Amino acid sequence: MRNNMKIIFPAIPENESLARTVCAAFVLELDPTVEEMSEIRTAVSEAVTNSVIHGYNGSGGDIEIDAELDGRTVTYTIKDNGCGIENIEKAKEPLYTGSSDSERSGMGFSIMEAFMDKLEVESMPGEGTVVKLVKKIEADDE
Amino acid sequence: MEMTQIAKHRMLVMRIYGELDQRSADEARTVLEREIKRTGAVNIALDFGRVTFMDSSGIGMIIGRYKTVSSLGGRIIVYDASDQVIRLLEMAGLDRLVIIAPTLNEGIKLMKRGM
Repeated sequence: MRNNMKIIFPAIPENESLARTVCAAFVLELDPTVEEMSEIRTAVSEAVTNSVIHGYNGSGGDIEIDAELDGRTVTYTIKDNGCGIENIEKAKEPLYTGSSDSERSGMGFSIMEAFMDKLEVESMPGEGTVVKLVKKIEADDE
Repeated sequence: MEMTQIAKHRMLVMRIYGELDQRSADEARTVLEREIKRTGAVNIALDFGRVTFMDSSGIGMIIGRYKTVSSLGGRIIVYDASDQVIRLLEMAGLDRLVIIAPTLNEGIKLMKRGM
């Protein structure tokens, strides 16, 4: 089946829960497993948290999520117009954090990579970041 | 979240409800740091039985508290956590730093054995 959805919301921590819940619900039609739902929720949460914390650094702005369903493959494109990422390869290293807050684990991209089938990051310093998450929802064998 | 204290073990027990993300992790950090100072507790037990979701903000919060209690000679116990939470803890290598147990009693037993 084909379907698509677009949501735009302010980059505030309160909306992280909204974003991951809506994105997970988007694939419900495909009868995903509890684990697949949990993986989508977590990966989307990481991407949105990055935009809120690093992208906009609490200064506000909008986050846009485009979701697309093609057959059993779902693609989430998460876009912000924040400060961007200087060095994407470095940002993807496990435990690397671009935040001065020692409380950030630096696990965000590692989790997105582990939980989704594909992760693409495009970013320009000063212009914003686009994170693309792709996942195939396995068909039920029964 | 709800906090109790087991004086005998110099332990704070925090029960976390719902989703542990950036917002609730910040709150947990503030409360735990304050209560450690106020009570003189050195060990923290986190009850994950009612946690429905965790992302890397939760990992960051646990790593932060691990640093605090380690410097005091204390330990962290995470108990009654879902498979999703345990998977994330393992990904971050936290299973080597904190005690993961099915129940609080099991956790305290492991702590006493110096695991």
